[in-house]
Amino acid sequence: MGQWAGYLQLILEGALVTIKLTLMGSVLALIMAFIAGLGRISRFRAVRALATTYIEFFRGTSIFVQLFWAYFVLPLLGFSLTPLQAGVLALGLNVGAYGAEVVRGAIKSIGREQYEACIALNFSRWQSLRHIILPQAFVLMLPTFGNNAIELLKASAVVSLISLSDMTFQAQVVRAQTGSTLMPFLTILVLYFLMSSVISASIRGLERYLTRGLDGVRS
Amino acid sequence: MPPINDTRTATTAQPPIIEIDGISKSFGAFKVLDQLSFNVAPGEKLALIGPSGSGKTTILRILMTLEGIDSGDIRVAGENLYRMQKNGGLQPADENHLHKMRAQIGMVFQLFNLFPHKCVLDNVTLAPMLTKNTPRRQAEEQAVQLLEMVGLADKAKSMPSQLSGGQKQRVAIARALALQPKIMLFDEVTSALDPELVEEVLNVLWRLSEETDMTMLLVTHEMGFAHEFADRVLFFDRGKIIEDGKPEEIFRHPKQERTQAFLKKIIAAGHRV
Repeated sequence: MGQWAGYLQLILEGALVTIKLTLMGSVLALIMAFIAGLGRISRFRAVRALATTYIEFFRGTSIFVQLFWAYFVLPLLGFSLTPLQAGVLALGLNVGAYGAEVVRGAIKSIGREQYEACIALNFSRWQSLRHIILPQAFVLMLPTFGNNAIELLKASAVVSLISLSDMTFQAQVVRAQTGSTLMPFLTILVLYFLMSSVISASIRGLERYLTRGLDGVRS
Repeated sequence: MPPINDTRTATTAQPPIIEIDGISKSFGAFKVLDQLSFNVAPGEKLALIGPSGSGKTTILRILMTLEGIDSGDIRVAGENLYRMQKNGGLQPADENHLHKMRAQIGMVFQLFNLFPHKCVLDNVTLAPMLTKNTPRRQAEEQAVQLLEMVGLADKAKSMPSQLSGGQKQRVAIARALALQPKIMLFDEVTSALDPELVEEVLNVLWRLSEETDMTMLLVTHEMGFAHEFADRVLFFDRGKIIEDGKPEEIFRHPKQERTQAFLKKIIAAGHRV
């Protein structure tokens, strides 16, 4: 049993890396989702085109390839990234592209009457968005953002391919060292599940918090 | 009665606050407004009546800049609404011009359009704080006064979802008044309300007309109210004004056949005129 404690320690160290990747990747994804999602509904055609290109490109190519580009190809162009930086970049940009469509969809789903009230009250476009549209749209984005964050958590395992010692990578190490397959993989199975449960619960909590007093508004 | 030191003899002597000059507007092949012209005097209470689809709501939406016009001109307080002076000529209005023009006009909608994520007080304070940089404390003091006027001071902290339709509409009126517009547009403000809630909203309009000299344009199906409240009534049909006069003339002695037919139908439906 004693030796397992040591191996569990290894896996937990990997879990820490996975958590770090997920958190940092999610922050980048959220930022990208808002930039590209708002870009998609911009008045300026060039901005719309740029946002669309980003979204289609990162949704349309494999996260593996994106990660390899971030880690192996960018250095050839003069940008060297640590494995963690490359992982956060690839995950954030990839999931951000999916999030952008969520942002756009939620904003579009806010009724025209809210925009008209904003015009009648003489708000600028930015004021309408900032104070009226986004706060209502954000609540609608949350459930899908939760899904995206869980996707990101699970996709974070790809970083083991660029030798970043995340949870999956560490499980492989333990398997190689002990020859046991069941223990390490069962452990990380449970850990991934626990982490995604935490994400789900946090999103639900946030949703409840943001919709207090809004009963009858969301269908 | 005007104040004694006021040299104006009558409201009609003042230049009109709204001048609508031959405007047309189509939605696709459907011509909603057809070469429409009329003026509104400052302080005038104008009721716009007529069958649905006759263009009366569109007029309010155009004045609020929610819809553009295809041709014609609109001047509000002497200034062109959809065009501006620039480089020695008239050009289509930009955001800044519209922003300046909108500041004089407030609108209340049929379905209230309150901000559901903001409490009643915030619904009323937000516009002055954002568009006039009014400090929060001052905006709140003003909001409380306005909520008192519409009889809802005790609901300041409620969310819109906790209010009845009549209460929501009264909040919406207070919200529009918070910007102190010269002109208020009321678009069928009682049409979405249960019958027993109509009166509390109409009472607010009465109070408003007694306490301010605001110009008011009302699109309404409450003929009894229009009769008593308005200084002047416009009867719309198919994008044109076919009758324009004092409520007494329009409701008691309509000249046009279409007006007579419309009023007959309304009375048959049980409305008091």
